[in-house]
Amino acid sequence: MSSGGKFRVLRALLSDPMGALGLILVLLFVAMALFAPWVAPADPIKLNVMEKFQPPSLSHLAGTDQLGRDLLSRIIFGARTALSIALTSVGLAGLGGLILGMIAGFGPRWLDALLVLAFDSMSSLPMIMFALAVITIVGPGTGTLILVVVLVSIPAYARLIRAQTLSLAGADFIVAERAMGASSARILFRHLLPNVVGPLVILLSMDVPIVIMLEAGLSYLNLGVRPPTPSWGNILYDGYTSIRAAPYMVLIAGLPLVLSTLGFTFLGEGLRDALDPKLRRGAAR
Amino acid sequence: MTALLSIRDVSVVLPTGGWFGGAAPLNILAGVTLDLMPGETLGLVGESGSGKTTLARAILGLQPISAGRVRFDGRDLIHSAGFKAIRPRTALMFQDATASLSPRMTVGDAVTEPFSIHGVAVRNHRDKAAELLAEVGLPPEMATRYPHELSGGQARRVGVARALALKPALVIADEPTAGLDVSVQAEILNLMADLKDRHGLSYLIITHNLALVRHVADRIAVLYLGRLVETGPTRAIFAEPRHPYTQSLIAAEPKPDPRKRRADLAIRGEIPSILRRPKGCEFHTRCPLAEDICRTTPPALKELGYGRSVRCHFTETTTEGGRHELEH
Repeated sequence: MSSGGKFRVLRALLSDPMGALGLILVLLFVAMALFAPWVAPADPIKLNVMEKFQPPSLSHLAGTDQLGRDLLSRIIFGARTALSIALTSVGLAGLGGLILGMIAGFGPRWLDALLVLAFDSMSSLPMIMFALAVITIVGPGTGTLILVVVLVSIPAYARLIRAQTLSLAGADFIVAERAMGASSARILFRHLLPNVVGPLVILLSMDVPIVIMLEAGLSYLNLGVRPPTPSWGNILYDGYTSIRAAPYMVLIAGLPLVLSTLGFTFLGEGLRDALDPKLRRGAAR
Repeated sequence: MTALLSIRDVSVVLPTGGWFGGAAPLNILAGVTLDLMPGETLGLVGESGSGKTTLARAILGLQPISAGRVRFDGRDLIHSAGFKAIRPRTALMFQDATASLSPRMTVGDAVTEPFSIHGVAVRNHRDKAAELLAEVGLPPEMATRYPHELSGGQARRVGVARALALKPALVIADEPTAGLDVSVQAEILNLMADLKDRHGLSYLIITHNLALVRHVADRIAVLYLGRLVETGPTRAIFAEPRHPYTQSLIAAEPKPDPRKRRADLAIRGEIPSILRRPKGCEFHTRCPLAEDICRTTPPALKELGYGRSVRCHFTETTTEGGRHELEH
């Protein structure tokens, strides 16, 4: 795609207030995660029991927790944990779904039948149950979390890509390529791929907050990220146990969850509208 | 002179699914035999569902054939290796030109793609694209456009440019004027004729538009339910159609004077479903001349001389019907 095409999508995205807000929130969280060591005012795991349960003040903008750690720093480093898990797992799942979906849609029919059976069996399992089962077997941790998300999300992505590939495989422009003698690899990568990834990008963007919530949920249950690594779920759990001593903690830990969820969802919806060929064609004329 | 393309008894049979395999297989094409000479324009005429497009795809190896043989320039096309060698020498133009262009590829990339597919070195892709576009009368700025930004006529010209990129010997054009304004239709046909003279192309034009074949084709082949019913030089067929189906088709053509239309030759009903191919002569369900023999015995293709052949039991009788046509 040319740069002109990309800018058109960006312009369409920014002209939609929800999409623009989503993009700003997402960029904010990404920047927070990337520049955490420079942005955070203090060390997120350094204990200072003397200063425990301090309410928000000038020295600790978001207060401190039960071990005297700076909450704002923990939230900022928590963004790093949340985003690295969410983006890695959603990215890997998206890649896996793309490859498997295109194989199913373009490959021989027996392989398609086999893959569809695998997708269906996989997606019949409830995500949280499957996560708990895998954690019980493998043990909790970041790697387990990513593994669970990748395994659970691949079927949905692969099915989307498969449907797109199937509907395009018989299209005139693909037949034209075959008539010209183009190889299967060329058809797959140069002609099918650019036409099937659009909807996947939207779905991926909308699934990032689901993974952030899953990570927070499992960390809250002490089945996700291991303490003392800061995670929004851990902070939320700490806030819950000390809700009488420091009621602000749960609010502060909940806020980034809400904002990041909104941000990615708005971005996904904005992208969907911006990439819609009909809306875009209307804008081009 | 040997034929550029020779099709011998080509059949395409598709197995129909069904859990118990009960449904009869579909005979899309039943023993089609055709020759295309170098430099010739052959018009393949038939209603929707007559198998015209399937024949084009079979010629290009996009549709496996069940029986028969296709030879291109003396080379048998039974193995995929054979098709690989003829790819650069054949080109296909689609009915829907816009849909035949990759939606996220610029026009410039699309017209030069045949070179990269066949590993032909091109010194400068931009110049080459401009050269190809100039050949079909499009400005070089078109190269940066996307297919959805083109008009129907422009997309058609881009399709022609891409088809001509590798200087093919045979161009198969599926309804080259479908969906275009009459003035644009004329432009495209003139362009195609022009390029034929310049590059010595052969065309196989697939259409249901009789005015189009009358205008451009040297020879006509009429297809009905996957079977060839009449072939011959265009002039002779229009002057004296021998098969009742061809007669009805020509009679059904819009005429400047509607009073001259032949009501007795008007075609009745719809083309039968290919799922229930009529016994005997396929056309008997709609034929004004049908008699008992037509319902039981399929007629053979009869040579009439002067390059004409027809598949009908009553060739002698139909001649008279053709005489009437001559008067118009």
